[in-house]
Parts: sequence; C-alpha cells; structure tokens
Amino acid sequence: MKVHFRQLIFLIGVFCMPYLSLAQTPTDGLMMPKGDICFLFNFEYGQFDHYWEGETLRKNGTIAKVQRRTAMVMAAYGITRRLDAYVGLPYVSTNSTTPNGGKFAGASGIQDLTLGLKYEALRYKGEKGELSAFGSVVFSTPVSNYLSDYQPYSIGIGAPQIDWRGIVEYEWNSGLYLRGNGAYIWKGYTQAEREYYYNDGSYFTSWMDVPSAWTYEAVVGKWFMNKSLRAEFSYNSSISTSGDDIRAYNAPQPTNKVNMDRVGVFAQYFFTNPKGLGLVAAYSRVINGRNAPELSVFSAGVTYQFGLFSPKN
Amino acid sequence: MKILRLLLVVLVALVTVTGCNMDLNTELEYGSYEFSGIDQNAGTWKPILIAAGSDISIDPPTAENSPQFLAEVNGVKSRITLMSSDEKKSVAHWTNNSVIRWNEVALGLIAKYNLIPGPNEDDSYTLPNPANPAGPPAFPFAHPPYASRALAYLSVAQYDGLISAWHYKFLYQRSAPYKVDADIPHAYVSNNLPSYPSEGAVLATVSRKILTAMFPLEAEYLLRLEHEHLESLILAGENVPSDLEAGKKIGEEIANIALARASNDGMKNAQAPKAVSDSLRAAAFERFGWQWENLESPARPVGLTPLFGKVKMWSVQNVEDTRPGLPPVPGSEVFEKDVKTLQDYAKNVTHERRRIANFWQDGLGTYTPPGHWNDIAGEFILKYKFNSIRTARTFAYMNMAIMDGGISCWDAKYYYYYPRPIQMIKGFETIAGTPNFPAYTSGHSVFSAAAAEVLTYLFPQEGNVFQKWADEAAISRVYGGIHWTFDATVGTAQGRNVAQYTIDVARFDGADN
Repeated sequence: MKVHFRQLIFLIGVFCMPYLSLAQTPTDGLMMPKGDICFLFNFEYGQFDHYWEGETLRKNGTIAKVQRRTAMVMAAYGITRRLDAYVGLPYVSTNSTTPNGGKFAGASGIQDLTLGLKYEALRYKGEKGELSAFGSVVFSTPVSNYLSDYQPYSIGIGAPQIDWRGIVEYEWNSGLYLRGNGAYIWKGYTQAEREYYYNDGSYFTSWMDVPSAWTYEAVVGKWFMNKSLRAEFSYNSSISTSGDDIRAYNAPQPTNKVNMDRVGVFAQYFFTNPKGLGLVAAYSRVINGRNAPELSVFSAGVTYQFGLFSPKN
Repeated sequence: MKILRLLLVVLVALVTVTGCNMDLNTELEYGSYEFSGIDQNAGTWKPILIAAGSDISIDPPTAENSPQFLAEVNGVKSRITLMSSDEKKSVAHWTNNSVIRWNEVALGLIAKYNLIPGPNEDDSYTLPNPANPAGPPAFPFAHPPYASRALAYLSVAQYDGLISAWHYKFLYQRSAPYKVDADIPHAYVSNNLPSYPSEGAVLATVSRKILTAMFPLEAEYLLRLEHEHLESLILAGENVPSDLEAGKKIGEEIANIALARASNDGMKNAQAPKAVSDSLRAAAFERFGWQWENLESPARPVGLTPLFGKVKMWSVQNVEDTRPGLPPVPGSEVFEKDVKTLQDYAKNVTHERRRIANFWQDGLGTYTPPGHWNDIAGEFILKYKFNSIRTARTFAYMNMAIMDGGISCWDAKYYYYYPRPIQMIKGFETIAGTPNFPAYTSGHSVFSAAAAEVLTYLFPQEGNVFQKWADEAAISRVYGGIHWTFDATVGTAQGRNVAQYTIDVARFDGADN
C-alpha cells in the first residue's frame, strides 16, 4: 500500500509565520485504506530576509534574517475507504541571525493541534484515466500559551482555524496528474498580552481578529518507477479577506492582511523494502505577497504506514 | 451510519464556530450618566495658564425671555425633528462627558503617529520635520515624550477653558433649551448646569485646535470631529447656537494661550543635532567613564530628543532639583548582581513575567505609557462619575506630572548617558524592543509613578491599585530585558517625587476645599 503523505503546505500565513495550516494529506488526492495508519515525521527549515510591508518589498536590519524550524509528527488513519482522519502537532522555533539591530530573543514551543477529516466524494475511472473529488475540513487550535503578538518571531497566529476545502484531481493512465484545490480558511481571534492596539484606529481590547483567507492551489505531478516515486510542481495563492497593512518600519501584527503567492516542488519515494516506509522532500518559495515574508522553505520527512487492526503481512 | 452522524455533528459544530463574532471595543464604552456633582464653584478654581477663569471674556447672553433666545430655542426644536440616524449616533457618542472622547481621539492619533522613521536606502535617517509634515517621514513621530506633551497641553487647555466656562455659566445662569421648553427632548441624563457658554463647545474647539497643532496632518479630520461634536450639542437639546458661539470663543482663546506656551517651551530644540548630542555623550564619558550607544542596524546617529530634559516644566522650576543620584558603576558588585538578575529573567521567561512585560510595553505603534495612563484614568473617572470639569482636572494634573516626569527622566538619561543591557551583556537578547535613548532612568517607571501619584491624590481610595500598577510598569522593563533594575526602582522614586510638585499645585486650586 502506498503511503499518502504529501508535502507540508505552509500557506496562508500570518506574517513570517507560515504555520501548519492543514497539514498535508487533507489537501491531496489520495485516500488511506480502511484500518491503515500512517505516521509522518517531518523537519522543516524556512528563512527570509525580505518581506512585503504592505506591497513594498523591503529588508530590515532590526531582524536581519529570520529563521524558522519546525519539527512535526502527524498521523493519518483510514476510518472507512472513503473517510480519512488526520492529527498533527508541530514544534516550532524561530530566531534572527546575528548580527542584527534588534537583539530580540526568538521563540519556541508546541504550536497548534490539527485535527482533520477528508471525504472522497467521487471516484470515476474512465478509459484514459481517473477523476476523483474530495472535501476536507481541518480544525486547528493552539495547545500552548505561545504569544501570537510577537512578530516576526511568533510561532503561530494563536487562533483557532477551520479550513473548508474542495479538491479535484485527474490522473491519466500515464501517471501524469493535475490537481486543483480551493479552501476558505476561517480564522478566529487571538489574545495579545496588551489591552490596546492600533488597527486603522484604536482597539481597547486584548483580542485581535485574525483575518480569514481564501486559498487556491494548482498542482501538476507525475508518478514514476512503477508508482514508487512521484514529483509535483505547485502554485498556490492565498488572500486575506480583511485586515490592515504593516505600518512603516513597524512590526507586523496578527490583524494584518496577508496575501502570498508561492511556487513549490515536492517529491515522495516509497520503498518496496522495507514495505510501508517512505520519504518526502519539498521546497517552496513565496514569489509575491502583501504583508508577507519572502519565505523559502525546505522540508524533509519520513513516513511509515501499516495496518493498525488488520496486519496485512 | 454512526460515522455519518458523527461527521454531521462535527460539521455543524464547526460551521457554528465560524459564525462566532466578538465585539471588539474601539472606544471606552460609556453613555450619558448622572454626575456625582456639578461643582457650582468651579468657576473660582485656579487655572494653570491664566490667572482666573474670568481672564477670558465673552459677551453676556440674551435673556431667557428675549425674542432672540426664544427664536434660538425654536430653531433647536425644529432641528432636532430633522435628526438623521447618523446624527443620533453622534449624539450618543459624544455624550455628556466629552472630555474622555477627546482624550481618546488624542490616544488614537498618538498610536497612529508613534512610528519611528526607518533608514533610507543609503542607511541614513531622515527626521520628521514640522515644516514639511507630510514627509516622509510624517510629522510627528509621536514617541512617549511627544505624547506626554501633546496630552498635557490638551488637558491643561481643556481644564482652563472649562474653568472659564463654569465662571460664566454660574454668573449668567442661562438655562438649557430642554429646561426652557418641555417639548425639547434631552438626550442625556439631566443636570443643573447652566448652558451659557456651552462646555461641550469649549471642549470641541480647544481640543481641535491643540490636536491640530500637535498633529498637523489631521487638520481636516479634527475639524470634522469638532463639527460633529458641536452639532450633537444642539441635537442633544443641551445648547442653543449662542451657547456654542461663546464656548467656541473660550476654546479659541485658551488654545491660543496654550499654544503660545508650547511654541516656546523648548520642544522644538529637543531633537538636538548630532554635534550637541555628541558633546553630551563626551561629557558623560569624561565624567563617568561610560557612554550609551545605539546598536541598531544601521546605527542611529542621535538618540531620541536629547534636549527634552531642557523643556519647560509645568510645576518644577529647575529640573536638576529632581535629578537622581549616580547609577552603579559598570563592573561594581551591584552592577554585576543586576547583570545576573537580567540574565536569569532572559533565561527563564515565565508566563507571568512575559505578560507583565507585554502589558506595559506600550511600544512603537501604540498610545505609549502616557497614553496608557490616560486610558486607566478614564476608567476611574467613569467609575466615580466625574463631571467634565473634574475629568479635565484629573487629566490636566496627571498629564502635567507625566510630562514633568518625562522631562526629569530625559534630563537624567542624557546627563548620565548610561548604557543599555544589550550593550553591556555579551550576546544578550530581549523580549521587548530596546529604545533609542540611554537607560538610566526608565521612562516607563517615571511616567507611571508620576501618573499613579497624581491619581492616588485624586482617587485616594484606589491608591493601592495605582501604586501596584506603577511598580509593575517599572519592573516590566526589566522583565523585557531593556532596563536595569535600578533604572526602574530609581525611576519610580523619581516619578513620585516629580509628581509631588504638581500635587502641591492641585492641592490649592480650590477644587478640594
């Protein structure tokens, strides 16, 4: 059985903090066999030294280059043939490279617990290939008291999120496939540790409304080596539905309107021996944005899949 | 089947969560309320900028039975019948204590303009220039000293204007339109304040004028607010147009007096050129053997307002009378002990220390520590149901003490030129932003202690709370990693001491007899 973990998609960030939005599998076109469980252990490194202040790309000697490391464990489980469940938990740490003008301490800690479901709504096999469609919903919420209002070092946005997503994929018999997905990501409120902030006017509260977002993604990929290897190229775009711009030479805050366009590549390899073991690797880069970091991300991970209740070997 | 049902429940629950909306306050939530008193004698209180409320003159009003006045009352009555829903909102917004509303306007502008200019492409820095306010960078950079001064002039001018208004209100005793004509609805809780001149009009005009001088790019916005506020006074049934005219005249005149003082208080020289700043640094190095350095990238050539310590104070004759003693010499036992304390805080950021560091940070882009204490004062003013002149008095004395505290603090900062922790502790990192000025003493500590001291005088029953908050604001800077412990403790004592000078003025203004 193939392992079905896909690239870590770090989209829809609030500034400088691409966080695990919906993890991987809920966004791809594959399902787990009933009763199978799969674990992913992933490590990711991201960095940026430029960011968009509003729509202007700039550098900032106060923060120099910001680095971000994420270690994550995720599990996927096939509840039925058409329904998968997901759970994930990342540990994130951030810092600036030295020398820098700000001398700010980085942040680290356990970020958001992610719980998701994906349902296969359609699978139609034609002469030339197969069409499938899915719906997924992913909920995430902070599980530690990290401070979201400490950008660009915050490890997350500190708010509950619900990601509603539709996915359509067509795979030709040649192994070439195209996939598109779109999502509305509702983001709740995050609590700062101050009772006043400015968001195009005064706010006399510690609660900040984190803008919700729309995201779209287009993927082209192909299977190789008798379906032991696949490679993908992706383009994705995310747009906040509200929010303010980062003000001149000022720190970002969770209320910001964050837009970004990103391109990425992804590869996954499945070992035949030992069976159930796989490797994933990905690279992505933000190519355009608003109140977003010009972020590059490398990631690599190991997956292991096995039958939980009905050992297949 | 069971799974499908579970799925449905999960989906419905998630949809429900998505629909949840929080109401986020963009202003202090209060409406019209019954004042704890109307202070009939407030016209005799001693103002700050003028000798007496009667120093500003207005014409006597028309009599209540005169045709002119009755025509005005009728005009108000018919105007009210044409009130739009936006105008109703405006009446509710400005309410019967608009001092707090104008204070909020000031806080919003401070937060809007509290942005430090960033470096240019060639790593140089351009300073905001009042002669070219649009910049870039925009004028002003509303940093804490600037904010303290803007708030002080606003509050003092409001207070003096209201003393004058009260003087004439009780001299002429002309009734409000809602009292004269029972058909005129009064939008607010009624009181027995005579309505000539309108205290609301004094506030609208004086506040617009002072804030326009402090935030010149906001002239249009402020005019609009003034206009809305003046309209609301008619629509609320509080005033007739001639009440407003007299109030506006007082507002204009007291604002001119306040702004004349402001133009010569030394603030325009506070952001000294590099040569002056360098000579202060050299003097400190020669005297003490240390000197603060800006470590930003690119480094800023001049610290923030090196000569703010020379600005004219409200209640202190000579700033050096309030200058604290020498800080610990780097390398001394006391100093090394403090290094260890700071390293310990940095290594063990507890949730409580982090919360305190952030709660009182009031850094760039916010309303600053002086603004935070105005916010706090507003809550207690409402709790004790102060009328508008008591409110203005509270803000006036508190902001005078805050500004005097800031001046005294800046005098110490640039006299001692004492280095920050990031300069003296190798590899040290902070959870708060290190500001562009020397460490000793802590501005937050002085501002907060000065504010707390005046508030304790005005709300003695709440004194413990204010003192605790002032201590917390002070130590917050040490938790943040940007101040030495002695910056905070000495700064707190300095703030309390400076505030006494203003409290001594307050004690004898006639309000507490």
